[in-house]
Amino acid sequence: MREKHFWAWPIASYLFLGGLGGGMTILATVFDLFFNKGDVFALALLVAAACVGLGCFFLIFELGRPLQFWRVFSAQKAILTFGAWMLLILIGVNAVNFSFFTGWFPWSGMAGLQQVVAGIDLVLATGVVLYTGIMLSSLKARPFWNTPALPVLFTVSGLSTGAAADSLLAGIWPFAGTAEEVASVHEALHTLDIVLVVFELIVILLYVIMMYTSSNPTAKRAASRWLSGSFSASFWGGLVFVGLVLPLGLYALGGAAAGLLAPVLAIIGGIFLRFLVVYSDDRRLFTGEECYWERLPKGDEAFMEAWE
Amino acid sequence: MTRYAMVMDTRRCIGCHSCTVACRTWNELPTDMIYNPVLTDGPVGVYPNVHMNHMPLICMHCDNPACVGACPTGASQQDADGIVWVEDAKCIGCKACIQSCPYNARHMNHELGVAAKCNFCKDRVREGKEPHCVKTCHQRARIFGDLDDPNSDVSRLVNSLATVRLLEELDTDPQVYYIIGLGGQG
Repeated sequence: MREKHFWAWPIASYLFLGGLGGGMTILATVFDLFFNKGDVFALALLVAAACVGLGCFFLIFELGRPLQFWRVFSAQKAILTFGAWMLLILIGVNAVNFSFFTGWFPWSGMAGLQQVVAGIDLVLATGVVLYTGIMLSSLKARPFWNTPALPVLFTVSGLSTGAAADSLLAGIWPFAGTAEEVASVHEALHTLDIVLVVFELIVILLYVIMMYTSSNPTAKRAASRWLSGSFSASFWGGLVFVGLVLPLGLYALGGAAAGLLAPVLAIIGGIFLRFLVVYSDDRRLFTGEECYWERLPKGDEAFMEAWE
Repeated sequence: MTRYAMVMDTRRCIGCHSCTVACRTWNELPTDMIYNPVLTDGPVGVYPNVHMNHMPLICMHCDNPACVGACPTGASQQDADGIVWVEDAKCIGCKACIQSCPYNARHMNHELGVAAKCNFCKDRVREGKEPHCVKTCHQRARIFGDLDDPNSDVSRLVNSLATVRLLEELDTDPQVYYIIGLGGQG
């Protein structure tokens, strides 16, 4: 029988968590390196590492032979191997970066060293965010993924969900500064998230329209599923309305409750995006192929096994 | 040098699925795995000029295989004679190769948790025998041989007849050549 989706929800969850953790780390380290606000985002670094770690767990869980996962580090040139190394190192560097802010370790006061670690962290997180999109877009067999626009979309989504999560975590332990400082960071992050969500809205609409008008019938078929087919409720309702338009409205409304709800919705939008994309793994079918797989007998598996 | 390749003479294929069965039997495949389906287009045309086109599929053993580049463990590999195969012991079942193959030539073996594919019956081929699907094809629609040997059947067919390759535009350089008959399909 033909399998519908070789990669399913674990991969979608991983892509979401990888983008989220990477985006959180990028913004936290940017605020640290360029605006000297590292302490406000200390917890965000740890949560980002946990997100990436959970994503790696999903990746391993999805394997045919999970206990052999370490072999993924053994190839020389595969994108997946490169990505696996970056994920692993990012988790470690994030934890080290976090340790500077706790005051528990002998190196906690060394600000210069911390800045170096933050710089490395920024580079790695950028790599992770780019890689999640590049991994899918490198697959020539899947026309809906095989476009340079996919890494752009995933990067924007990673940054916008990262900004949302960072704003939820900013100023919590181990931060010990003033409430005014946290408020100013919140304002900056909300402004940034508004810009990123608007940009993501533009990119996602362009992406789907581009695919819908594509000369490739497979890509067109997947896009029409998003626009008016079986994915349209998730796309228009989940991703566009709940994940993008509603957060913009809430940000515009302002207030404390909106400041909490809008980032949560933006993060949910990120989940919808990854699931929609991962389940759009259409391959170009040969003439008569669909019919072939449909004609195969179904429901005889138990009999066949008993026969053997 | 040796470069194994296959020619599919779709003019001769009658869509009997013998190759599918022979392959599954020889490779002892689980019930949900088929390495070489035979697709059927049609009947097309207007009576009495009606015909069906059959297109046998198989791993294309590409010269530029997308699957080998996608493999993060080195389990997917290509030998010097062009045969692309998976080393079970190294495969972790990440399915990256399956996603990268435009020909649906790779399948998940759920019993072993590894990716599996046609390997041109490489153990038989290296003993000088034909792959099982070729040996069983009573219409001689599947022709197998060394493309680099100017006297081989595949070499003579590929160099004398117009053949097409599937999804050639994806730059995978597939090494299965189709002779297209009446009506044709590509």
